[in-house]
Amino acid sequence: MAVTTSDDRPKGGMRGRPPWPATPVPTADEVYASVAEQARNYPAFLESIVHPRDAFKKPEALSRIRVLDCTTGMAIGHWASSMLAELGAEVIQVEPPGGDPLRELTPFGRKEYMVKDKARGEPVGLHFLHEMRNKYSITLDLTKKEGREVLKTLANHVDVIIENATPGLWDKWGIGYRQLSKLNPRLVYAWVGQRGQWGPLKDKPGMRDPVAQAACGFVHGTGDPKEFGGRPTRSGMWMADHVGGTTAAMGIVAALVHRERTSGRGQFVEATAAEGVIRILDYNWVWHGMDGSIRPRYGNWDLAINIYAVNPCKDGYMMVGGGHDRLWYRIWKTVGDEVPGAEEEIIADPNLRNVSERLPHTRQVKTYTLLCEWLKDNTRAEAERKLVRQEVASGGVMAVHEVAEYPHFKYRGQVMEFDDQLYGKVLVGSSPNLAEKVPARLKWLGRPAGYDTEDVYRRLLGLTREDFDRLRKQGVI
Amino acid sequence: MRGDEADAMMLRCKCGVKNYLDPYPFWNFKGRTRCAGCGAVYAVEIAAGAPVKEPTPATSEQGELLLPGFADTPDWKPIVGGGKTRAAPQARADVYGRPKPIVKNSRGRLVAGRPLKPEELVGSRARYIVEGKEPK
Amino acid sequence: MATKRPARKRNARGNDASGRNQANGREWPAVSNPDFERYCRTTFDPAAKFGKPEVLKGVRVLSCTQYILGPSCAAYLGELGAEVIKIEAPRRGEPMRHSTPGNEGFLYPLSRWVPQSGTGLGFFGANFNESFISMDFHRPEARELMYKLAAKSDIMVENFRPGTFDRWGIGYRQLREVNPRLIYVWLGGFGGWGPGRVRASYDILGQAQGGAFSITGQPEEQGGSPSKHTIWLADYWGGMMGATHALAALYWRDNVSGQGTFIEYSQVHGVSRQLEYALPLYGRHGIIRERWGNWDTQLCVHGIIRCGKSSYPSSDNPQEREEGYILISAYADGDFARLCRVIGKAELARVYKSHDVRVKAESQREIYKVLEEWAKDKTKEQVAQLLERAAILHQPVWNAKEVASHPHWRERGAIFWMDDPTYGDVLSQGPAYKMSETPPRVKWAMKPIGADNEAIYARLCGLSAEEIRKLEAEEVI
Repeated sequence: MAVTTSDDRPKGGMRGRPPWPATPVPTADEVYASVAEQARNYPAFLESIVHPRDAFKKPEALSRIRVLDCTTGMAIGHWASSMLAELGAEVIQVEPPGGDPLRELTPFGRKEYMVKDKARGEPVGLHFLHEMRNKYSITLDLTKKEGREVLKTLANHVDVIIENATPGLWDKWGIGYRQLSKLNPRLVYAWVGQRGQWGPLKDKPGMRDPVAQAACGFVHGTGDPKEFGGRPTRSGMWMADHVGGTTAAMGIVAALVHRERTSGRGQFVEATAAEGVIRILDYNWVWHGMDGSIRPRYGNWDLAINIYAVNPCKDGYMMVGGGHDRLWYRIWKTVGDEVPGAEEEIIADPNLRNVSERLPHTRQVKTYTLLCEWLKDNTRAEAERKLVRQEVASGGVMAVHEVAEYPHFKYRGQVMEFDDQLYGKVLVGSSPNLAEKVPARLKWLGRPAGYDTEDVYRRLLGLTREDFDRLRKQGVI
Repeated sequence: MRGDEADAMMLRCKCGVKNYLDPYPFWNFKGRTRCAGCGAVYAVEIAAGAPVKEPTPATSEQGELLLPGFADTPDWKPIVGGGKTRAAPQARADVYGRPKPIVKNSRGRLVAGRPLKPEELVGSRARYIVEGKEPK
Repeated sequence: MATKRPARKRNARGNDASGRNQANGREWPAVSNPDFERYCRTTFDPAAKFGKPEVLKGVRVLSCTQYILGPSCAAYLGELGAEVIKIEAPRRGEPMRHSTPGNEGFLYPLSRWVPQSGTGLGFFGANFNESFISMDFHRPEARELMYKLAAKSDIMVENFRPGTFDRWGIGYRQLREVNPRLIYVWLGGFGGWGPGRVRASYDILGQAQGGAFSITGQPEEQGGSPSKHTIWLADYWGGMMGATHALAALYWRDNVSGQGTFIEYSQVHGVSRQLEYALPLYGRHGIIRERWGNWDTQLCVHGIIRCGKSSYPSSDNPQEREEGYILISAYADGDFARLCRVIGKAELARVYKSHDVRVKAESQREIYKVLEEWAKDKTKEQVAQLLERAAILHQPVWNAKEVASHPHWRERGAIFWMDDPTYGDVLSQGPAYKMSETPPRVKWAMKPIGADNEAIYARLCGLSAEEIRKLEAEEVI
């Protein structure tokens, strides 16, 4: 029974929180019960080398690396530092006193959705918590000169600094790449943002996704076409920040590789959410360059592949995919078992004989109209069961609760309930970076702002109790 | 589709033309549509992709008029445009739907955009690209 | 013991640590630092890339991949200077070569054997900088060739169905015997173990089953439906995740262990990692995050509205004739108050006085209705101008042409005209991120099937000219 995050709630409300998992996690025996010995061999081998339950027996790829994540108010920097933290780096989040403003975000302003930590009882929004994994938190006021002096000293102790301040601000403050690289030539310094720290559209203060999504052409190309009554649509999540954050992490790790292999020096990395998405906007640019085409929105269908779409079905929305001939005929064979007229019409039509002739819009309208004659009487589960017999890739659009309960994801720990010492039991999406020898792992979910201030400053900078008192009084930490 | 039962999404007009009422706009639709072949207007009611009742000739101008996404004749000749079916999302003014052979791109420079013959190759490349000379 | 969190500190100018003036918002707190801008333009100058070294010089990557997920992972490594060898089926190549939007754009020749066909634009962007050879993996001779290649390679990327390469004798278990330093990256839909291991997967199936699909799109109440992300997001971004992990494994191999490793990346696992607060919210409260269209569930005003007038009403391209859309971002009290004055509704700032009130679902519906009413007779450029004068953050929703022709992306090298040696003058995306010392770079777009057979098989496998001809004739390569 779906309950929405808008203000419409069902009558009667919900009593208590539903237990997760609602259905038990399958055991290995259940999963492989009816699988022949030979077919079981390879999956068993994989489980023996990459199962996340063994992650803590294995080393971490980046355990020698220490990172300062000084980004605030934006997801891209936290995403980048999450990747590094999950791969073993020691990541210290440097927050302004009072904490990163992102901590306060909660859906529709509902404070009851926030979580309080057990040490200080400070509320934090679930969005921020989900992306604070494996990181320490210290506070530091960089708007104060003394704060910047502290940062300069910290810079000698770290391999990576990530910041997302207004372009040119840190340089003006004397803690930009130009200045810090003189203090620590091995430092990898990354600036992250929406559109860039230089150029006609360089970032303005306060920008955050979906600025990048709109600026790069993604929003224009997503959603139903005008001809279907649609409008340009943003991603439901801060997707460009995730993509840009991943490219930032890629650049940072590449810089570390280069430092050790060749140069002995760090460098300046710049990653933006918009350019991360521009890199992966499929064929938009080459197509436009060839003949001036402007990629249109195409809803849940695909301009370049037919059958490859999501369409309505009996209990929701159903993805069916199969671009080449063999799969095309297998899909229609499945449809024909129940709606023979649809299969006949498709097979008889001479305009649908070749793979590439099925691409123009008119052919896709015919294809999916007839496919929906079958989908309307099949649930997602029924359709998938029938199509998998023909080895066709298909599956329903799953809502969040269906994702959370999907047996395959529970079995693999893709969705897991993490028991955090400070925040209790929280359901999370785990890292997809599985490996035989250097897997990612989740150590803790998050910290209240400044929770590790004393510990980190003491062990890195040797600050004494007097130093702490003085700096606190000055509002520096 | 199933004998004489009306198909919800494919409206077979008495003139023989098959009108495709595409899933997204028509899934839950109550209104009118017009046959792309003969112009006959039908009252249509579809819920969750299934016909609530058979399409009947429309008796009034009540309800939104939404054209089919596509239509074709009994012998598969396409009927598009001219106000008969809804426009396709277009990337350019001139619509193709099949490979458009070009040797010059949108800024007038050479690009390998058309089929080649074996004698036009140097290794795996078009000679006219290698030499930078527009082919005749 | 609960302690009160110290209030976020502001300096004398009312700026908090993010550099943004939250007090009255009237001041535009951008930083003037032209010297830094000049420094950035020089440091990240796209024209200077080829004078700088490459991170992965001397690193060899085998790309036994199809579609987008596997190929893009290898391509990102190619951008950093690795020698990437793409291995495809003889004559036909891999399926993505036959995919192009609307069946219109192809780049010729597909291969020297089939010059009358071309490669579709779907293939473009996922195979930059690579050498292209062909090989039929099923054939017994292929095994020896793969061993020779793997012995000399650092990274192997493949995305065939789990166990396929193992069955063919060229999987991780076999190749690690040949080369214990090999980093073997397998990417795929659901992973190779667990109840869903047998499922084939495409990008939008990953989006649909991972949950991103269900939270994107116009809300039900506005007649919308779940929407796919335009781009092959799970694939292209999944490749980034795999490449970052591979780079971290390379770092670990060369600086710590001397060992290779197996890496498994499941694309649908990546999608559920991105769901932000959705899983924790469901786990704690049983609330299911749903789509919220072009608005934001956590910030208001931070949404995309329609501007009623087209910016190019007399264009012959229908994409340009559409009305415009624009993102408006004004969620701080001062910014919101200024926005209300701009639209001539100053009283709204009193009605929706605080962010907690504005961000409620019912408030958002009202506020965006008012904004769209105001914008219904304006182009997005007119709206942008009015907002710019009032120092309110905004971003027009740009189509592919507007993005491609904008000087910002061109100056930064995010989009550029490439003189491709095979295909001529093509417009292309550049790498997603920037590095000052070892910038990633795009050297060529792609090549025809088997274009480098002679060169690679002679150099790396010691085959004579006659042996190569014989194997090509038998379609082993």
